[in-house]
Amino acid sequence: MARRKADLAVVGRDQPRLDGADKLTGRSLFTDDVVLPGMLVGKVVRSPHARARILSIDTSAARALPGVKAVITHAEAAKVVIGINQPLFRSDTVNYIGDEVAAVAAVDEATAARAAALVRVEYEPLPPLPTIDAALADGAPILHAKAEGNLAWQSAEDRGDPDAGFGAAATIREDTYTTHASHNCYAEFHAVVADWSRPERLTVWTPTQTALLYQKSIARSLGLTDGAVRLMTLNTGGGFTGRTSARPHHFVAALLSRQAGRPVKIRASADEEFIVCRAGGEVRYRYRTGVDADGRILAFEADLLFDTGAYVETQMIVTTLTAAYIHTLYKVDATRYRGRLVHTNNIPYYFHHGGGIAQMAFGLGLHMDALARQLGMDPVDFHLKNMVTEGHTSLTGTYFASCGLGECIRRATKQAGWKRKYGRQKPLRGIGLGIGAMASGAKGVFRHDTSAAFIKVMDDGTMTLFVGLPDMGQSSHTAMAIIAAEVLGAEVADITVVSGDTDITPLDVGAFTQRGTFNTGNAVKAAALDARRQLEVTAAAQLDCRRSQLVFRGREVCSQAAPDRRVPLKKIIYDTLHSREGRFVMGRGFYNSPKESGTMAYSFGAQVAEVSIDPDSGVITVERVVVAHDVGRAINPRIVEGQMDGQVFSGMSQVLYEETLLEDGQVLNPSRLDYKMPRSYEMPRVEHIIVESIDPFGPFGAKEVGEGPIVCTVPAIANAVANALGVPVTEMPIAPWKVLRLLGRRGGKGG
Amino acid sequence: MQLPPFDYAVPRNLAEAVDRLAASAGNAAALAGGTDLLVNLKYRLVAPAALVAIRGLPELRGVRDGAGGGLDIGAGELLADLLEHPRIAALGGLHAAIRAVGSQHIRNLGTLGGNLCLPTRCWYTNQSEAWRTARTPCWKTEGLVCHVIPSSTTCRALNSADTAPMLVALGASLVLRGPRGERALPLADFYQDDGVNQHTLQPGELIVRVLVPAVAGRSAFRKLAARTGLDYGYASVAGVAIGPARRPRELRVVAGSVASRPVRLRHAEALVLERGLTPETIEAAAEATRADLGEVTNLFSPPGYKKRVVRGLVAKLLADLATTKERAA
Amino acid sequence: MTHRQFITLTVNGDRREVVVTPEMLLLDVLRDGFGLTGTKRGCTSGACGVCTVQGDDGRAVLSCLSLAIQWDGRSVTTIEGVAGPEGLHPVQQAFLEFGAVQCGYCTPGLVMTVKALLDRTPAADAAAIDEALAGAICRCTGHIKVKEAARQAVLRLQAAAQEQAHGPAQG
Repeated sequence: MARRKADLAVVGRDQPRLDGADKLTGRSLFTDDVVLPGMLVGKVVRSPHARARILSIDTSAARALPGVKAVITHAEAAKVVIGINQPLFRSDTVNYIGDEVAAVAAVDEATAARAAALVRVEYEPLPPLPTIDAALADGAPILHAKAEGNLAWQSAEDRGDPDAGFGAAATIREDTYTTHASHNCYAEFHAVVADWSRPERLTVWTPTQTALLYQKSIARSLGLTDGAVRLMTLNTGGGFTGRTSARPHHFVAALLSRQAGRPVKIRASADEEFIVCRAGGEVRYRYRTGVDADGRILAFEADLLFDTGAYVETQMIVTTLTAAYIHTLYKVDATRYRGRLVHTNNIPYYFHHGGGIAQMAFGLGLHMDALARQLGMDPVDFHLKNMVTEGHTSLTGTYFASCGLGECIRRATKQAGWKRKYGRQKPLRGIGLGIGAMASGAKGVFRHDTSAAFIKVMDDGTMTLFVGLPDMGQSSHTAMAIIAAEVLGAEVADITVVSGDTDITPLDVGAFTQRGTFNTGNAVKAAALDARRQLEVTAAAQLDCRRSQLVFRGREVCSQAAPDRRVPLKKIIYDTLHSREGRFVMGRGFYNSPKESGTMAYSFGAQVAEVSIDPDSGVITVERVVVAHDVGRAINPRIVEGQMDGQVFSGMSQVLYEETLLEDGQVLNPSRLDYKMPRSYEMPRVEHIIVESIDPFGPFGAKEVGEGPIVCTVPAIANAVANALGVPVTEMPIAPWKVLRLLGRRGGKGG
Repeated sequence: MQLPPFDYAVPRNLAEAVDRLAASAGNAAALAGGTDLLVNLKYRLVAPAALVAIRGLPELRGVRDGAGGGLDIGAGELLADLLEHPRIAALGGLHAAIRAVGSQHIRNLGTLGGNLCLPTRCWYTNQSEAWRTARTPCWKTEGLVCHVIPSSTTCRALNSADTAPMLVALGASLVLRGPRGERALPLADFYQDDGVNQHTLQPGELIVRVLVPAVAGRSAFRKLAARTGLDYGYASVAGVAIGPARRPRELRVVAGSVASRPVRLRHAEALVLERGLTPETIEAAAEATRADLGEVTNLFSPPGYKKRVVRGLVAKLLADLATTKERAA
Repeated sequence: MTHRQFITLTVNGDRREVVVTPEMLLLDVLRDGFGLTGTKRGCTSGACGVCTVQGDDGRAVLSCLSLAIQWDGRSVTTIEGVAGPEGLHPVQQAFLEFGAVQCGYCTPGLVMTVKALLDRTPAADAAAIDEALAGAICRCTGHIKVKEAARQAVLRLQAAAQEQAHGPAQG
């Protein structure tokens, strides 16, 4: 396959997203836009207590209200278990503010709200455990019988010989950090429409990053076959790692629909969104690193303590992800990891944007930067000395077939003027470097990591590409069309992408762990190659050449040997079908990482952030961020830049602004107003450097740009702030009052 | 969030509006821009049986020349329209204060009178009805406790109306119209330090006009919020200085978002009036604001932060006043 | 129960009579009554901007904070009414070309916000664009490409206006 840019006709060209015009004219449909005949409105009755015993539930008044068509509690749904052995509704105790106790469906929103208010629940409040410390205190009540000491899950592993590594170290540094609870804040609130009017068929419309996993978990919990559940994804208004597993409201809507025999829509209200979304909880990190006299890392230890909230959904994945992260950045021969999930009476936490890694990268970046300074090294030199390189195999068995990390570090720091600025800034101005890596794929999290694709080729030269990968804004469907067009010598305009209906579209694990471009891209490439092979028979006969000599490009086919003799692609397709054999052209392909565990490719990045601090208020202004990211190959460069921009925003927002403020388990700021995120005024200048390491396994060399940049933004800004302050930073978000406290610690208020 | 049912009345003139409000015996609310009222209705914080639409009332419209070269502003004027008015633009501080309100979207709906009547805010009350059921009621929701300052015997929610401290500093007064006729009231007397009854508007009374006296001096406004657009401030400060730039004869400095009403910073003022505006006195005056603020309501930021913010804002504000050239209003 | 009444509302040039009760929001009437679901339902408290439409004064209006009844006899433009028969409006075109669209949920509100700004302030500078966009929030784009698209739209509209005034440089 062509590797040089010049050989590529479609890949690498700026291509406006295919669904752009629909999104810009209001034609794109989202779940809240779905209106079905007879559709009801569902409401969930939630616990107002962080922890309480349920004494009684009386739904008679709700049932008696005219217009109410379904009321369910644990009594009606006792067999429905979701997540890890979690009953859908509570019957004995409630464990957080928002815990599902009952649900109603009625003819309209006002009636549903009235009915929900008429469900009488008598509680005996119990003292809640609102923090990690409270949950781990001696004598603390145990929230779940199976979770001794309120430890919901723990994992520990040594790789190599960390004791020997630390024993041989010339310098050992240890630091602790905290990241606070935060929330994804998507544009589109959680919503679902479920139609289970007929017992043998359940159709669910909902925004998701993975139709497959939603379909499977809904089917399993409701006792249906996968085929009986049709998952419809229209558009998904933001994912940010937060829409990767079905939530209680998905099951609730289905059950309400079954009971009422009519479709039901549930849409989270503004503050309910903070409960339904889950997002990230507080995490405490302890990092310890031992280096030799030259500054080479000999051993690394990470001990992570997560507030996992009232229940564990699939948050143990976060321990898998964070345990392996260090090995994707540095060459380390010995590591020790411990991860513990602690039950509290907070919202059951899940993932915020960056999937646990961006949050982990806050402290890790600060720690490594501080270590470099302790050693008298420029952080740039420290990273260059220790970073992974192409051809390296890590302790986790990961082989890095491509790695542009060094190039990212060199180019980002050069463009930012690092040498000129680092250590030479005016007071209260800072510059920081953040590096990161990100897997393209989920192998290891799941047994298989398969994406599949079909392509149907019509005799007028147009094509329909079927993929199961959702596009929640990252423009992946357009990227898939580009890949198919490149292989088939078509133009992107010739291709229609069909997705979002599990009855039609092929299997795909989904759009998370940055697997879309790599896995689904490879599947699409395989499907397009399959279709092309079917056309090659006709083309080779017409052009009197071997099939291997054929070139498909620019809606034409020619032979390498005689490039001036070109046949329109449309004619080749037409003649293939309109032959005696009537060969209909339909390609199929799939991709799964051939490895036992672990993914085939990693993207790498480096970012340099510059900040200034107002000593009167502690307000931090991010002035400039230089982003260098090794995406393997930019399939669609301007879209790649857009991904970088969004992650700079989200990373900056997390480091400096975002915090779900909790008091006794209650969210104090559950709104777009009080949950602080920056807006237009606050955005820095962002400069983009696209590094293309051309991965041998990626489609046309592509890897990912899904969450790689954010794991660099977070440490870059954190380090810039620490650099400006000259004292250690330990907590995220770095709110302005924390800055003032740190300035006070430093003595004086600076220049 | 849905609105609860209510009746809706569109009076033809001010008299009719006042009659409608008076006749309802406190069970009707005046609807101007609705940017705050409708949210509070959705939250079920208020439950009027009827809304009386006042935004289009002719008596509440227009920006006119006031007495003695001052300004006479209709309370129903859109904030967005005021920003485009040349006489408001000439009053730098007021222009900045209006621009600090909400977002452009909010200013396209909101009115000046509405901003002056903005109910005090607190994150234990400005929440949905479902949210509030998880907590015992407080002074503002017919309970007997303050969740912010447990020892407080009154509601201490914050007045965050950005135009309020500026108009108080400008010495503005209000023309009010109620069932018992029209009266004038200095804006400073309009507010009281009670989060529940934050202003002295009588039942059925409306703000009709806002009168800004001619100020032969300089005005300035500063606000600090988590972000520049669409946010209530950690604090805001407004100032008016009359007389020579370095030696003002008159000075009013007022802080917002620190208590249930705008707070005049008299210690700081006195210090500057006594010693003039120099870098040293600016520092000292900024420090003196601590004494003026007393016990602030530490909502939306941890204890101590608001005072630090006011200190910093006042230093910048006084520097603005020492340097800004401004025409008389 | 509150009384129902007919109002006359013109949306994207189409004049219709609709029955409303006072508590019905402009947002609900546009979405449920007119079936114009391009106007999105977001925070419903004026803080996210996804429900933005354009009022008859040209300004951006939050339809979640406007009672439908207040719009009796007036007209609004929604996202469905922005593109003309020749295709996308210059603001939409700039959004498309400059990568300002991602998940698309806030996109209609952003387009209406920028269009309203440029209709009233054709020479909007970067500060004016920031000011208008501060009423909206977009985690996907971080506003960066949205701002770039808005700046490009200003340039294109100015060029078009100039061409109209002076005629094309070459016939």
